Amino acid sequence: MATLTKKRAKAIADTLLGAAMAPEVVVRVRDRVEGNTRFANGQPTTQGDVERLEISVTASIQGRSATVTSNRDDKDSLTALMAEAEELAVLSPENPEHVPPVGEARTLSVDGHDKATAKLGAKQRLTRVADAVKVAKDAGVEAAGFFQHHEESYAVATSAGGFQFWQGTEASLSVTCRTEDGSGSGRGSGVSHLAKAVEGGPIAAVAAEKADLSQSPKAIDTGRQLVILEAQAVADLLSFFVGSLDARAADEGRSFFARKDGGNRIGEELFHTSVNLRSNPADPDHPSRPFASDGQAHKVTQWVSDGVLRELTRSRYWAQQQKAQPVSAPGSLFMDGADVELLDLVRAVDRAVLVTRFWYNRMLEPRSILVTGLTRDGTFLVEQGKITTAVKNFRYNDSPVTMLSNVLALGRPQRVMSRGMVMVVPPMVVRDFNFSSLSDAV
Amino acid sequence: MSTSRRNFLRAASVAAGAGALSASSPRQAWADPAGSREPAPVKPPPSGDVGLLAGSPLLDAEALATAAIDAALKAGASYADARLVSWRRESLSVRDEHIRNVRRTSEFGLGLRVIADGAWGFAATHRVAPASKTAVETMQALAKQAVGAAKINAALRAQPVELAPMSPLVGQWVAPHGVDPFTVSPKDKADVLIAATKAALAVPGVLHATAGVQAQREEKLFLSSEGARIHQLMFRILPSLSAMAVSRRLGRFASRNHEIAPMLAGWEHVTDAKLDLDAPQIGEDAVRKLHAEAVEPGEQTVILAPSNLWLTIHESIGHPTELDRALGLEANYAGTSFMDPAKTGSLELGGEPIDFIADRTQPGGLATCAWDDDGAATERWDLVKDGKLVDWQTTRDQAHWIRDKTGDKDGHACSYGDSYASVAFQRMPNISLMPGKEGYTTEDLINATEDGILISGRGSWSIDHQRYNFQFSGQQFWKIEKGRLARPLRDVAYQANTVDFWKSCDMLGGEGSFRLGGSFGDGKGEPGQRNAVSHGCPPARFRVNVVNTGENS
Repeated sequence: MATLTKKRAKAIADTLLGAAMAPEVVVRVRDRVEGNTRFANGQPTTQGDVERLEISVTASIQGRSATVTSNRDDKDSLTALMAEAEELAVLSPENPEHVPPVGEARTLSVDGHDKATAKLGAKQRLTRVADAVKVAKDAGVEAAGFFQHHEESYAVATSAGGFQFWQGTEASLSVTCRTEDGSGSGRGSGVSHLAKAVEGGPIAAVAAEKADLSQSPKAIDTGRQLVILEAQAVADLLSFFVGSLDARAADEGRSFFARKDGGNRIGEELFHTSVNLRSNPADPDHPSRPFASDGQAHKVTQWVSDGVLRELTRSRYWAQQQKAQPVSAPGSLFMDGADVELLDLVRAVDRAVLVTRFWYNRMLEPRSILVTGLTRDGTFLVEQGKITTAVKNFRYNDSPVTMLSNVLALGRPQRVMSRGMVMVVPPMVVRDFNFSSLSDAV
Repeated sequence: MSTSRRNFLRAASVAAGAGALSASSPRQAWADPAGSREPAPVKPPPSGDVGLLAGSPLLDAEALATAAIDAALKAGASYADARLVSWRRESLSVRDEHIRNVRRTSEFGLGLRVIADGAWGFAATHRVAPASKTAVETMQALAKQAVGAAKINAALRAQPVELAPMSPLVGQWVAPHGVDPFTVSPKDKADVLIAATKAALAVPGVLHATAGVQAQREEKLFLSSEGARIHQLMFRILPSLSAMAVSRRLGRFASRNHEIAPMLAGWEHVTDAKLDLDAPQIGEDAVRKLHAEAVEPGEQTVILAPSNLWLTIHESIGHPTELDRALGLEANYAGTSFMDPAKTGSLELGGEPIDFIADRTQPGGLATCAWDDDGAATERWDLVKDGKLVDWQTTRDQAHWIRDKTGDKDGHACSYGDSYASVAFQRMPNISLMPGKEGYTTEDLINATEDGILISGRGSWSIDHQRYNFQFSGQQFWKIEKGRLARPLRDVAYQANTVDFWKSCDMLGGEGSFRLGGSFGDGKGEPGQRNAVSHGCPPARFRVNVVNTGENS
């Protein structure tokens, strides 16, 4: 089953726009065909092949807006949807922060669709599951995991003449291996718009090796210490950083990026000079949708260069207020690194804790972006350049902004799992990372 | 109790419910969400007006669901069920004196679940318009896809899926509610919310106030190849109010959320809450929090109000008593459990006064319904008795995994899928901590405490993947000195290990202090699914490690 063509998406949008009485309308159409197989204890558990359609209309009448969403695409349903949006908009109080819809916008040309990935089914999924299970079995550990793929069509059309359409694919696999006695756990994962880049064997091999290495962990002291964060762990913390990059919160004094005497900290050197962060929907290896859900183009944006904050996201309303450019919340994040393997980072330190990933991360204090969470699926002590000991998992209380200030070395960036976003970041060595307590969890 | 007996009771309660509702004065029923201040009964509340199901569009697609089941059986399935699920969601939020967002979402589709060659298969589509010429072919294709995938996966299964025997039943249930939230205009809703934000903004020092309401309408028609036909309708509602105070001089801001719980209820839950009357207090609390003293970290006594403790129960007792999780089925995502099924009946989780019950029958409870998504009748059962683990959260296909340890043959009706497109699997029922027998009030707990902190409301939270080590914050913190509330504190979180925490509990409030808390956002599974669930508890006293979460900690 294929997702909507550009022509069909346009036809749905035109039907809605044609039925509109409201002067301002934004239409979003998202059609997704997805498949997944779960497995645990070495066998498949559940699977699903699912079609989802989301048609969303925001109608605005003199600054009064409402958004309605449905999954019916016949003509009568579309007309009814438009009418409901208008009816709710009229009833809604006026929003003084209303901005008119985005008009025609040039977007970057991005190829993120792979035919082979779009055609995957239960059979291809099971092949990967079988590969992963076999690797785990040969290594004497239990495998659990999840393979998922989707094809998606996404369109945004506006009454101001904007129309954007993009089709993309994605496949991802994550595998957790545990030793039979439950004393060791490791994880491997991969994600790409090309299913062929996501194979069961190699991902499971990483998970199995870590499960084996992480057995019978020892308790070591908590407190601030040198850490080597794998790329996944870096991304887990950076996702809070991305969520805090908002100009309005900064300008209103509510964020880390607020200046004490008012305004924001764009232009200030806030991080280590090796820190460079940017977004780019058109990255050839890691493409992402080149426009936001309101039809604004996602541009190549440099957030941090050489440790200096260069830009914040800015809603179109706030941009008007501040007489600045609007900047959409990004769909991708790339961080520069160095051409150095993770094991080279390990070899370069005397004593450090190596962290595979973080888990159950939650914001504690938005002003300093203080986050808490735990290490998971492989935490090790590195001594004299070698991984010597499996250690118990820690709870940490620390901040991605402190992490970016305390960077000592960077490794080679890699694509990691991240919710709703493409993230390509390096592993890094960070000093004074704050582990606050121990957990017995394996 | 035998399955047929349970089913009989259910059917009887539906009939009795319709009569009971018309006899009672609705206003009285709305004033206090029925039963939310006492632990759950053994069966769900009587149904609301089942007349609301009569004109349902789900009925128009029923023939297609039947066609899908027939096609699945023909394609080689040994079992099939179809869920037609219709969701409506509305969220409305205001900031200060104006509306920020009005959003309505509706979703309707069919999910077909099958067992073929001993493996599960699932396929789902939104293309269920009965008038469509291709609708029947769509169902046939869906059945082929689900059965085909099950057969493919069967090749790698070591043990076949096993369903506990169940007599199929036919029934209807509508969650009791006063006013369907979807009949109240956004303007009227916004008026109620803006009255509250204005009242909060009137407090000097409050810079912004936000308020919102999320309403859900979940309707589903479940049909199975065994002959079940179950039609249910649930309304859930989540009001919120928050005030924020900012001090540029201190370089700090503080926000204070109202502690109101989401409920299985209608719009009456919002109007009865009278948020505008509470708003000045919420505003004052925010300002007070801004200027409060930073907490001194270290091991301390805390009294946790129900508005805080419910989430700690959810995370430290709720998740680790999910049987699938304990057996490794969620190892790749949510994690496993520190509780070992082999130790059912002997594992000590707390002292003797600690009893947890699980149920999907709590009036007003977000997970409450009459039948689960396997078509099994809901009930109430002991999870932890006298401090010992005695049972688990289970479904029909998990019953045989633990039967030897618990004696429960049927499973505990915990199956739930969060949309037509989601596979139903084991999800959390309402789980509540039973009140103490001494009948203490919150004041009694405070008076009995020489030195400690009173924590109320929900703050940030985090817990490891086996549920040993957790850290929770809250909304409002009071230093207790010599049995009295001495002064407010800020930047407080408490960290503990689950078993140490529950074993340290030395005082429980009595029945009069029992309250429900809850969330729409209980996450589990891959792809992720959301479950709405409530937890009731009295206030209780513990020893924990207090952490300062402030900027300069």
